Amino acid sequence: MHVRDRFQPPNLHYLAGTDEYGRDVFSRLLIGSQLSLALGATATLISMAVGVPLGLIAGYRRGVTDEAIMRVLDVMLAFPPIMLVLLILAVTPPSLLKTAIAIGVLAVAPIARVTRSVTLDLMSGEFMEAARARGERLHYMLLRELLPNVWPVLMVEASLRVVFAVLLGAVLSFLGFGVQPPAADWGLMISNGRAFVDTAPWISLAPGIAMSITVIAISLVGDGLREVLDPKVGR
Amino acid sequence: MSAMSALASPSAEPLLEIRNLTIRYREDDRQVTAARDISFALRRGGSLAIVGESGSGKSSVAGAILDFLGPTAEVTGSMLFEGQDIAGLAPAQRRQMLGWRIGAVFQDPFTALNPALRVGRQIAEPMVQHLGLPLPEALARAELALREMGIDRAAEVARAFPHQLSGGMKQRALIAAALACEPPLLILDEPTTALDVTVEAQILRLLSRLRREKGVSLLFISHNLSVVRRLCDDVAVMYASQLVELGEVHRVLERPAHPYSKGLLASRPPLAAASRGSRLAAIAGQMPTTAEPDAGCVFAPRCPFHEPRCSTGPQLLTITPDGHRVRCWKADALGPWPRQQVAAAAAPVFHRGDALVNVTQVSKTFDRSGGLTAWRLSVAGGRPLLYRSPKRVPAVNDVSFSISPGEVLGLVGESGCGKSTLGRLLLQLLRQSGGSVEFDGADLARLPAQALSPFRKQAQIVFQNVGSSLNPRLSVGEALDRPLALFRLAKPGDRTKRVEALLDMVRLPAAYRKRFPHQLSGGERQRVAIARALATEPRFIVCDEPVSALDVSVQATIVNLLADLRDAFGLSYLFISHDLAVVAQLSDRIAVMYRGRICEIGTAAEVLAPPHHPYTQMLLASAADDEPAPEPAAGMIAAATPGGCVFAARCPYTLGAVCDTTSPPLRPLTASHAIACHLDILPNAAVPPVFVHPDPQRAAI
Repeated sequence: MHVRDRFQPPNLHYLAGTDEYGRDVFSRLLIGSQLSLALGATATLISMAVGVPLGLIAGYRRGVTDEAIMRVLDVMLAFPPIMLVLLILAVTPPSLLKTAIAIGVLAVAPIARVTRSVTLDLMSGEFMEAARARGERLHYMLLRELLPNVWPVLMVEASLRVVFAVLLGAVLSFLGFGVQPPAADWGLMISNGRAFVDTAPWISLAPGIAMSITVIAISLVGDGLREVLDPKVGR
Repeated sequence: MSAMSALASPSAEPLLEIRNLTIRYREDDRQVTAARDISFALRRGGSLAIVGESGSGKSSVAGAILDFLGPTAEVTGSMLFEGQDIAGLAPAQRRQMLGWRIGAVFQDPFTALNPALRVGRQIAEPMVQHLGLPLPEALARAELALREMGIDRAAEVARAFPHQLSGGMKQRALIAAALACEPPLLILDEPTTALDVTVEAQILRLLSRLRREKGVSLLFISHNLSVVRRLCDDVAVMYASQLVELGEVHRVLERPAHPYSKGLLASRPPLAAASRGSRLAAIAGQMPTTAEPDAGCVFAPRCPFHEPRCSTGPQLLTITPDGHRVRCWKADALGPWPRQQVAAAAAPVFHRGDALVNVTQVSKTFDRSGGLTAWRLSVAGGRPLLYRSPKRVPAVNDVSFSISPGEVLGLVGESGCGKSTLGRLLLQLLRQSGGSVEFDGADLARLPAQALSPFRKQAQIVFQNVGSSLNPRLSVGEALDRPLALFRLAKPGDRTKRVEALLDMVRLPAAYRKRFPHQLSGGERQRVAIARALATEPRFIVCDEPVSALDVSVQATIVNLLADLRDAFGLSYLFISHDLAVVAQLSDRIAVMYRGRICEIGTAAEVLAPPHHPYTQMLLASAADDEPAPEPAAGMIAAATPGGCVFAARCPYTLGAVCDTTSPPLRPLTASHAIACHLDILPNAAVPPVFVHPDPQRAAI
């Protein structure tokens, strides 16, 4: 932090310029990436850990189990997402983990839905019936027969969810509910730079660009993972 | 060009002439040749069949004529249609030809119609497009066209949506749409493959009538030689992207010249009961996907007549004196395709007393839907009423039979007759609604699901759909290893050896352990599926249409394999198929099923010889090549009257009230043969010959 170097435009010394306190925006971007990505990854892990088993069971069991799980999830889907997170964060003191949980819970319903629809499709496969003809137990059916086939679709879905979580985290910080200043968070940085958009646009622009690159990169990683996991490609 | 037209008189000019057609697909840097130097001609009013197994390139030829191949295909050569080379036309002009000068009908009638539009509208569409007719007139013509297709209630069908029609009816509608603008050429790509045999026979009769009456020329793509015989003048046999034989249909089918044609014809099972020792003639190996003819004859690796000279260079299409073309240098000197025979096992004698599987009066009714979505809200009565949709569909109705150890029971019937449901009931993959299934003396219905494990080990299943019967994420080794681990059939250290032994049993190399299902051909996948069923060392296997999805030559090898395994391990099968000839090849006894009931059961010889149940007779007539089959209720099957005979609505011999009110019991004719029919069928008096006209009142649309 160099108080005298406030509002420096991007140059060789300050790659992304400096902000209103003379802090190096690029350094803050790097530090902030840890926060944003940790938030995205944690939230997605939470939603996968809950959503995938629910979707598998709903799709495998059908009937009453399916109805019960899916209707409860439908109720969750009916809430406007931001409102739900705001509600959780507004009534309790903010913390990173809580933000991650709140965002993660939001994504349970979509992940369970995707898992269920892929499972339903797989259930018509005759290899499932062959497994039943051997008298396989539930956990084998779900983990060995179904999950490996659901996985590639989940990879794509998960990468999308990380992206959403990062964006939502940024939105929350921007609104002041997520990470608190002076922590370096991309959403918070955009929020702070808002006042100086006319004179020092790089303060908001740099985290914005970083976020776009991250979002694209995660999507590409998701696509790549799906292809690597596909036995039809390579090997 | 002028020299050509000078040679050919205008009247002899063919409608469609394909010259040196070559089709290549480019994928990244790989190149696959789908058709190589194909030439043939189709005269006006003529009909030509292109026959070959999947991957032979026959559909690509049709696709090239229709311009359906997409940008990855590179098409060279010329395609003269009505004297004009359509290969050189702009895409817009080619599109204009479709539906107007060239009609096309494809394999799957179930997806070819737009589900959101009424059938009449879809037939009218090409007339509006190409002939510029106003819609009302086109709709009126569409109705006439449907009537021409042999549909009685054409107006009703024209107003129906596709889901309300049966498969055969949809295919009629599609043919009507293809012929709406009266094109001189109709291209049919496997139009009857997805249909039941009786419906197939109807469609083939319809097509030959249209050919006669309208003079339309047919280009018929098929894998099925017997279908071709009934409809076409000429036949072209394709193998590995090449035309190997071309000639007049009876000449090719009765005296095939090319070894591949010989093998293809020989591998088709005859419609007759077979002894335990008989095996189908099979073509060893499989079709190369990227054959290079420069290296020699493409068929040489699989040819029993092969000699070193065959591999020295590409084979040429030579013309024999009678105008027959063959791509084999020694076609004249070939004998018949070699048949294999195994040492005839003595026909086993089965005693009804010690049955392995005993099915008594078993029934299965499906609730059409469950859960919240089954509830309906009705406001018809003035006040809202919540009710549960009561639709119950009976799939299997009061079926009894038994299977002895080592016996094969064939189960024949059309799609939707409940034969697959019955197979799943035997394995307790579905629980019956009534009746009992006994296996080895134990009543399975009384056992809780957890106690079924010993039974599961002894009774296994092989499926129809080779695409989904193996888990795409498990290697062959993993798939075969699982039953061994589950039932602790081999020590962990010995399992690999056991997996290799299983692969050897189904005649696959041990190295296939490491492969994934997508790396295998259809026949190989079915072998793995059979090995997986064998892994538990079962005594009984339900084979649910195990060869229906396979090509004829592959089908023969799988049927032979099943026969060998039956003899080697003393296995019992329930062999389910819609194909009587395949069932007859393998079965000791045959049961014929119609709409959830068994209408005839007996030894293979008894069922195939008169006297027949009227339905068996209809199946046999449809499957036989040249016999005129009965023309029953054309189209959708009428709902059977509750309590009456299920077959009454389609039966040519109905006796009147008794058939509509009383369900006929299964009456024994001999100790082993029984028929469920009110007709007075005496063992020595055959049912009178097949009638021609059904009572139109009995036929619902």
